[in-house]
Order: sequence, then C-alpha cells, then structure tokens
Amino acid sequence: MLLQSQLPNSLALAPVLVLALTALLLLVVDSIDPDSTNSAALAGISVVGALTSLGFAGWFLSAGTGQVSTGGGISLYGEALVVDGMALFFMAIFASVTAMVAIGSYDYLRGKPHQAEFYTLVMFAATGMGLMAAANSLATAFVALELASLPSYALVAFLKKNRGSVEAGLKYFLIGAVSSAVFVFGISLVYAATGSMVFSDVAEALNGTEFVGVAGLGVLMIAGGFAFKTASVPFHFWAPEAYEGAPAPISAFLSSASKAAGFAVAFRVFTEAFALSAIPAGIDWVLLFQILAVVTMTLGNFAAATQENVKRMLAYSSIGHAGYALIGLAALSAGSAQNGNVMGASMAHLLVYGFMNTGAFLFIALTEHWDIGRRFEDFNGLGSQAPVACAAMTVFMFSLAGLPPFGGFFSKYFLFAGAIGAGFWWLAAVGAVNSALSLFYYSRVVKAIWIEDPSGEFQITSKPIGLYAAVMIAALGTLVLLPGFGPVIEMAQTAATALFA
Amino acid sequence: MAAFDYAPAIVLLPFLSFLVSVGVAVSGRDLLPKGGALPGIAATAGSFLLSVWMFLTVSGGQYYDETIYTWAAVEGSFELTFGLLIDPLSAMMLVIVTLIATLVHVFSLGYMNDDGQTGLPRYYAGLGLFTASMLGFVVADNLLMAFMFFELVGLCSYLLIGFWFREAGPPSAAKKAFLVTRFGDYFFLIGVVAVFATFGTSQFAGAEAFPVLAEEVLLGEASANTFGFAPQTWFTIVGLLVLGGVVGKSAQFPLHTWLPDAMEGPTPVSALIHAATMVAAGVYLVARMYGFYALTPTTLAIIAFIGGFTALFAATMGVVKREIKQVLAYSTISQYGYMMLALGSGGYIAATFHLMTHAFFKALLFLGAGSVIIAMHHNEDMWDMGNLKEKMPVTYATFLAGSLALAGIFPFSGFWSKDEVLYEALVHGLGGLGGGEAEGALLLGAWAMGLLAVFFTGFYTFRMVFLTFHGESRSDTARNPHGVGWNVKGPLAVLGVLAVVAGFVNMVPVAKLTGAEIEFLHKWLEHGPAGLTSEHYTELTHEFAHYTAGTLAGGELGTALISGGVSLALALAGVGLAHVLYNVPEPTEHTDKLGGIKTLLYNNYYQDEYQVWLATGLTLPVSRAADKFDQGVVDGVVNGVSSVSLFSGSRVKQLQTGVVSNYAMLLTLGLTVLLVVFGLLGGWF
Repeated sequence: MLLQSQLPNSLALAPVLVLALTALLLLVVDSIDPDSTNSAALAGISVVGALTSLGFAGWFLSAGTGQVSTGGGISLYGEALVVDGMALFFMAIFASVTAMVAIGSYDYLRGKPHQAEFYTLVMFAATGMGLMAAANSLATAFVALELASLPSYALVAFLKKNRGSVEAGLKYFLIGAVSSAVFVFGISLVYAATGSMVFSDVAEALNGTEFVGVAGLGVLMIAGGFAFKTASVPFHFWAPEAYEGAPAPISAFLSSASKAAGFAVAFRVFTEAFALSAIPAGIDWVLLFQILAVVTMTLGNFAAATQENVKRMLAYSSIGHAGYALIGLAALSAGSAQNGNVMGASMAHLLVYGFMNTGAFLFIALTEHWDIGRRFEDFNGLGSQAPVACAAMTVFMFSLAGLPPFGGFFSKYFLFAGAIGAGFWWLAAVGAVNSALSLFYYSRVVKAIWIEDPSGEFQITSKPIGLYAAVMIAALGTLVLLPGFGPVIEMAQTAATALFA
Repeated sequence: MAAFDYAPAIVLLPFLSFLVSVGVAVSGRDLLPKGGALPGIAATAGSFLLSVWMFLTVSGGQYYDETIYTWAAVEGSFELTFGLLIDPLSAMMLVIVTLIATLVHVFSLGYMNDDGQTGLPRYYAGLGLFTASMLGFVVADNLLMAFMFFELVGLCSYLLIGFWFREAGPPSAAKKAFLVTRFGDYFFLIGVVAVFATFGTSQFAGAEAFPVLAEEVLLGEASANTFGFAPQTWFTIVGLLVLGGVVGKSAQFPLHTWLPDAMEGPTPVSALIHAATMVAAGVYLVARMYGFYALTPTTLAIIAFIGGFTALFAATMGVVKREIKQVLAYSTISQYGYMMLALGSGGYIAATFHLMTHAFFKALLFLGAGSVIIAMHHNEDMWDMGNLKEKMPVTYATFLAGSLALAGIFPFSGFWSKDEVLYEALVHGLGGLGGGEAEGALLLGAWAMGLLAVFFTGFYTFRMVFLTFHGESRSDTARNPHGVGWNVKGPLAVLGVLAVVAGFVNMVPVAKLTGAEIEFLHKWLEHGPAGLTSEHYTELTHEFAHYTAGTLAGGELGTALISGGVSLALALAGVGLAHVLYNVPEPTEHTDKLGGIKTLLYNNYYQDEYQVWLATGLTLPVSRAADKFDQGVVDGVVNGVSSVSLFSGSRVKQLQTGVVSNYAMLLTLGLTVLLVVFGLLGGWF
C-alpha cells in the first residue's frame, strides 16, 4: 500500500533498475577514464549500487509491496513483468551476493586491467537475475536469462592470461548455448500448444489442451533450461569447470546468485504457467523434479567427496545444494496446503546458501590472493596463520553441512521438515543421507586448516581488507540467520504461498 | 509469608560455601583458616537456623508451594520447573539434615583438620555441595527437580567416598557406589519420563499434582495416557520404575552392595551419607510421593517385602564383621529396610519417625566410631580395641546411648520408632489376612523378617560395643589412645541427647495406654497442604490398597503392647547373647561355631560375587556382542556406504572428462532419455 500511495507502480522494479543504472554509471566512468585501475572508486560504486538495490528490496518487502496484504503482485509492461513477494525476496538475495562479491573483488582485481568492465558485467548479470525473478512471460524469462548468462560467460573468462579461466569460459559458453537452444525450443513448443507467452494465459490454455505431447515436450525442455541455470543434472557439466576456472569471486557469484536466479524463474514458471491445477495429467513435472533432485544431490555430494581440490569440491557441493533446493519443486502436489511451506523453505535455503556459499568461495579467493595452492593439503595449518578468516571458513563449512548452530541448519531443517509435512518423507531421507555424507568432505577442510600441521611455509604477507570484510559479512550473515531465521522463513513461506493462491 | 522468602537460602548457603571452598581449592593457597571448615560451618548453621524458622512457620499452619523458575516450557504440553515445597514432612527433614550437616562439619575439624589431612578445601567443597544437593532434593516440588538433585547427591557421594584417591580402595569404592546407584537411577529416570508422559506434570503438591491425577484416573474422574495398560497396572509399573532409584540410593536388596564399600570414605562423610543425605534420600522420595504409592497395593507389598527382607538380610551379615564401620554399614542397610517395611505397610508416620530417630542415632554412632578411629590411629579392627571406655568416657557414654537406640531398647529413641514400624506391619498384615488379601500374607512375612532382625540387631550392636569399649585392651594403641578434642565431643553430646529423647515425640504405646495426647509426630504430619497429609494417605491405603488394621488378643491396645513387648524381648535377648559371648575380659571369636554359614556371612552371601559375575559373565558378553554388531554391522554399513559413495564419486569424476563435446553429448543424451521416459509415461506420442 505504501508504494501504491507514494510512488508510481513502475518504481516497483527499483531494485533491478538501480542495478542497471549502476552498470551504466560504471560504463560512463570507464569511458571517461578508460585505463583506470582505481579499484576503490569502481568497487565503491558497485557496492553502493548493490546496497541501494538491497535497501529498496528490503524496504518493499517490509512495506508489503506486491504482496497479498497490499493487493497482490504489481504487473508491469503488459504483464511481461510482475513484482511480488517472491521476486523481491530473490532480488534481496542477488543484491546481497553482488555486494559481497564487489567488496571481495576490490582486492582480487588489484593491479589487473579492465576492472570497469568486470564490475559492469557483474552489474548487468545481476540485473538479468533480478529480471528473471520478476519475469511473467516466457519471452521475458528467456531474455532475462540470457542477460544474466552472457555477462557470466565473459566474467568466467575474465583472467585472459589464465588458460583455466579462458577454457572454463569457453566451455560454459558452449554448454550455455546448447542449453539456451533447448530452452528456447521448449518455449516455442509451449507457444505452439497454447498460443501465449504470458504465464497466466499459458496456464489457461494448458487447462484441457489437446496438444499434450507438444506441450509436454516444451515443458520438459524449459525445465532443461532452468536445470542449466541451476547447475542440475544432466545440465551441470559446465559447473565444476566454470567454478574452478573462474576468478573466485565470480565462482561465488555464479554458484550463489545465478543459481538462485534459475530457481526464482523456475518457481514462478512452474507455479504460474504450468500450475499443477491447470497442467494436463500427462505432464508430470513433479516426478521430473523428484528425479532431478535425487540425482543432482547424490551426484553432487558423491563427486564432491572424492575431490582433492577445495574449489572443485565446493563446485560439486554447489551442485548438491541445487539438489536440496529442487525439493522446493519436487515435494509439491496439486492442491496441497503444504506447497507454500516447501517452496518457501527452499527459498529460505537459497538465501542462507547465498551467504554461506559466497563466503566459502570468497575464502578461496583469499587463498588465491595469498597464492597458497588449491588442494586440501595446501590448507594444512592455515588456522595458525589466519585464524579469523579460518574461523569464518569453519562457520561456512559447518553451515553448508547443516550443523547447528549455524544458519544452514535451520534452512535445511525447514526444507526437510516441509518435505516430510508434504508427505515426501523419502525425499527428506535422501537429503538427510546426503547431508551426512557432505559432512565428510566439509570437515576435511576444517581438519586441514585447524588440526593438520603445516606442510610448507606460508607466504602470507598481506591481509586484504576488502576480501576480509566480504568474508566477515558472509560469516556474520550465516550466523545472524540462525536467530533471525524466524522472520525470513515466515516471509519466504508467505511469498511462496501467494504463488499457489 | 516472610519466612518462606528466605527458603531458597537454605539450599544456597551450603552451595555458597561450596563455591568458596572450590575457589580456595583452585587457588591452591591456604587462604582460609581451618582449610575452609569455617565457611562450611557458618553456612550449614545458617541453614539450620533458617530451617528451624521454617519449621516454626509450618507449625503455625502455613505451607509453601511455589515455582521459582521455569527453565523449559512446551506450549500446551508440560513445563519443567524448579520450585520449593515446604510442608511438615520437608520442614522436619530440613531441620534433621541441616542439624546433622552442621555437626558433621564441626566434627570434621577434629577428624580431618586436627589429623593434618591435606586437600581440605576439596573436602569441604564436597561437604558443602553434598549438603546443598540434599537440601535441594528435600525441598523439591516436582519429581524432575528431585531427580536432578538426587543425581547431584550421588555425584557428591562419589567425590567424597573417593576423597583419598591416592589409595587403592577409595576410588574403587567410589566407582562402585556411583555405578550401583546409577543402575537404580536409570530406572528412576525412565520413571520420571513415564510420569511426564502419563500426567504431563511431575508436581508433588496441588490440585494438578500427579498423585492427585492418578487418584482421579483410578476413580474414573479423569483420564491419562497409560500406554494401553489398565491404569492400576501402569501406575504400578511407574511406581516400580521410580522405586529403582530408591532401592539403589537407600541400599536395599539387591542394590545394597555399594554401601559397605563406601566405608572407605572419611568417617564424617559416612555419617552424613548414612544419617541424613544419600541413603535417606531414597526413603524420603517414597514418603514424598506417598500419595502415588498408596494407590497401588502391589507396589506397596513389594516395598514392604524388600524392606523386611533387607532388614533381616543385612542384620545377619553385620554379625560377623571385624571392623567397627562395617558393622555400622550393615546396620544402616538393615535400618532403612525397616523404613521401607513401614512405608510398604501403610505406616507413613512410622517410616518418617524411624527416619528421624535413625538419623540422630546413626549419625551419633558414626561420629562415635570416628572418635574411636581417631583414638586408634585409624585402625578400625575391633579385635585390636578393647577397654576404651576408661580412656574415652564421653565417647563411650554417647556411643552407648546410640547403641541402645539402635538395638531398640526401652526407652531410647530407636525403640519407639522401630516398635511402631513393626506394629504397623503387623496390624495391616493381620487386617489384610483377615480380609483375604494376598498382600496380607506378604506383609506378615515381611513383618516376621523384620521382627527376627531385631534379635540380630541387638546382638551385633552390643558385640560391637563390648568388643570396642569393654574387656582388656588388645593392642598398644588401645592402651594409649589418641585424645579427642571438644570438636569431637560436642557433636557427640548433642546427638547423644537426641538419641535418647527423640523417641519421646511419638510414644504411641504410652499414648494408647494412658490416653494422653502425646503423639506429637502424628499431629505434626496430620496437617499440611491438601493431599499431603498422613490422614489422606491412610484414606488412600484403605481405599485403594484395602489396608485395614487387624488385631491380636486384647484389641488395639493389646496388640500394641504385645508387639512392643515381643520386639523388646528379642532385642534384649540379642543384647544378652552378646553380653554372654563378648563382655568378658578376653573375648574370643565365636564365628567358627557357625560352620558353613560363617563363610557365607563373611562373603556377604556372595552378593558382590554374583553382581561381578553379572557384570563380567553377562553384561560383558552382551556388550561385546553389541560392540561386534556396532563394529561389524553398523560400522560396516556406514563404511560400505562411504566406500560405495567414494567409488561412485570417482566414477562420476571420470565422467567429467574435460572435453566439452562429451558434455554436450551427455547433456543431449540425458535430455533425450528424460524426454522418452516422460513421453512414454505421459502418452505424448
């Protein structure tokens, strides 16, 4: 109500608009001073932009903009976009991750060329993610997804002199191209069957359609497009390579924010366009997501358990977490009152994950900054050299494993509890077994940094303030989300419930 | 209600002295004079004064039942709280415990400090926490809080029994005491959970107390979750579970084995354990929730039978012991058997009465024994003593008073209370038999054992007195004993007086004979909060357990006199036999005359052996099997899962070849498989 009475409706998109404007501003700065390596100014602009976006998202969320209490979602541009609780919730996640990544990049990029381009691309990708969360038509969903993806390809390959980075970027781009083709083909099939792109119209047309086969192929291929974005099996192949090769802050960005964006748009498409109440019986996408969830979390965790390289382990663990979040779509059933709770729990898990996973990758960025190697053994005894950062890393690892008293415990708990409440106890059981397995490889990191004796001399000469600050913010977020989890889960579940209304 | 505002201080004062002593012990310096005894004495004396104040307030007809702190609450389900319940029973117990704790602290000055013991701050810290735990247990207003303090009492006894931890015996005895009582407490804990699960509360008092709820359930006025059992059966099960803790702590058969070993601890600690804290806790718990036990005749009969059996069983073992503290240890087991017998036969007042008199005379006997031990330079063997009455007249006089009380000789305190215990068992046994109840026969059997134990009690008590104090000195130390100071004699004197007069508060036979209103304890326990009075308990035992009083010849008065006369005669016979055998200048061992029984008694009926066998021959193989199962099956599954996952993990890793065209192929294949499967399932083609 606040927004409707004080601001024009078009400003409901403010969190996204701010990100886009920041990107443009960075371009302006770059064109004035093309060779600038003034990281402070560029990172500062990005951080301010991200925080402003976060501020708007937070303000709207608390004011109730686009939520049931103020009359439901605000649809814009001929129903191409919609701003509601879920969109704002995800925008807050993107903005938080973007801010942390920008702070961390300040040190990571020091002395490297093309910094303005880096920040600009991050901001554009974030804009695309925000639009994905707000997309209300298959066309905007596709465009937004590409807007998020194309800068990401470039960002992964940002270290142009580094073969790993360039190779990862190319692979990411190629797999992305295949996936986009699948995605857009799926859209065309759905359009062929329904004659519409707007979600609500698609749902209406699907209800009792005679083209079940065509629509079914389309739905499945669209799900494939989202599987690519969320790094779910079998569209996950790019992820380990891209996360490992990319600059660590970008790994953090992709594995947290980009993944969450994939879920944001998937949640909306599958609850609005392919709503269970409207979908023909032949198109059982819940079963599809159940398969994907189980396979993804199992594969991610199993592969993570055998890695020798910490960053690659985190890449696989990120795939595993995509599997957990997929429970938000896999534990649904038509007309169940639990649907909102399950999906809300998944959203809350993505929020917590945004902090703990970003933090973990930023810690890797810190170790890359120190140049101490990438394997578990290289981390041996690091705790004695950099106790504060290592304590934060311990928090991330235990939180990712889902141990109390960290944020990851509650989010997983609500996720599994939601699945059980919805009658899918076996999904929760698979998730719990996988979580137990994940403790094995997460604790390897903790063991290495605290318990093992150092295998070599560390050359830790500096304590980069930006990376430290970013890691600390992420750790703080992970910890604060334990006592603060009540309002978060409530907000997420309210927003998700609104989708099923 | 001003007095009750200070009630928490009764518990907190000894706790404070514990903290002070711990602080001193940790600092490692001699910060306090007397090694920390003075704060302990001040704290317990303060608690004693407060307790007396509570006692006077309660006698004015005011009671206190307040929740102090709720530490966990489940909405609409149950609350876990700390609270205080001060009624006639707990007020009386508070006075007993604080008085004896104070005297034990004073006595410790003589026993520990004057003896140049080291580690005194640790000792006084233990005593302080022990006292505080027991007081917390006494005032607990719910079963869970009682359990927690019950456990603290157990912990403290472990710490104090093992005080001389550098020697071989005490640590082992401490462990044994801890483990054996823990075995009983395990059942108690299940019982606490069962009470919560059944009633949703564990409060002792009030309209929502669990004994009250249980009564209503049995009357059909309320319902509770009885897990598919009939309420009567289920309440019996719950009662027996809680009884497990009681049997362990109060050293009843078959969990009595820890107590004789516990003599390894310092003697003042033994006095505290036996008279006022650890062992008393078990019996007190039954009395505290007597409203619950009174509802289930089976439980009552079991309590009575265990009690009667233990009384006789332990008394026979006390007959052959060589060491003065061992005799006292078995007498403790036996005397608590009497209390259980009383509780089981509906003699709530009799049990409380015996608990009180026993607290005084047993504390006296232990402190007296401690005095003898000081004099004998820590030699406890009675066969090395003799003729100490000449050298230590104060100790002798008071020890004699305590012994007469223990043996149950008229008019010492033990006579009155033991007489009432046996009287209650007799009349209710007769009544039950008359009414055709099976429990009646059980009660009479328990009574017969209790009665027979009177003879043994008289015998072993005076065997101990004669061997220690009479005859000729049998060793050099006995000829030249170490002197004892005021701090030993003072507590002995106080307790000696009490051992003589404590029985006068409840002279039932005299009251019956003369019709005078002198049954003060009856009056005392008759009032109290609703549902916690002796009158209510009598109604309950009558209504639910069908206890009625039967009589022998001569009606009520005649029965009382016959019962008292027989038990006194038996006690005198025991004393007489001891006099004949041992009150001679040069006593000799007569145990060989017992033949094979001697070995049996010396080995305590092989109770330790069979319990050790249970541990090594039964528990250990079972544990080994469980360990095998754990190592083989459970760990095997876990290890198997992890090997499988690591193996398949490395396979997955191989899938990730690094060749991007492979990825594209796998991606397309995966998508195709999904398309085909879902297409077939959904009938798209």
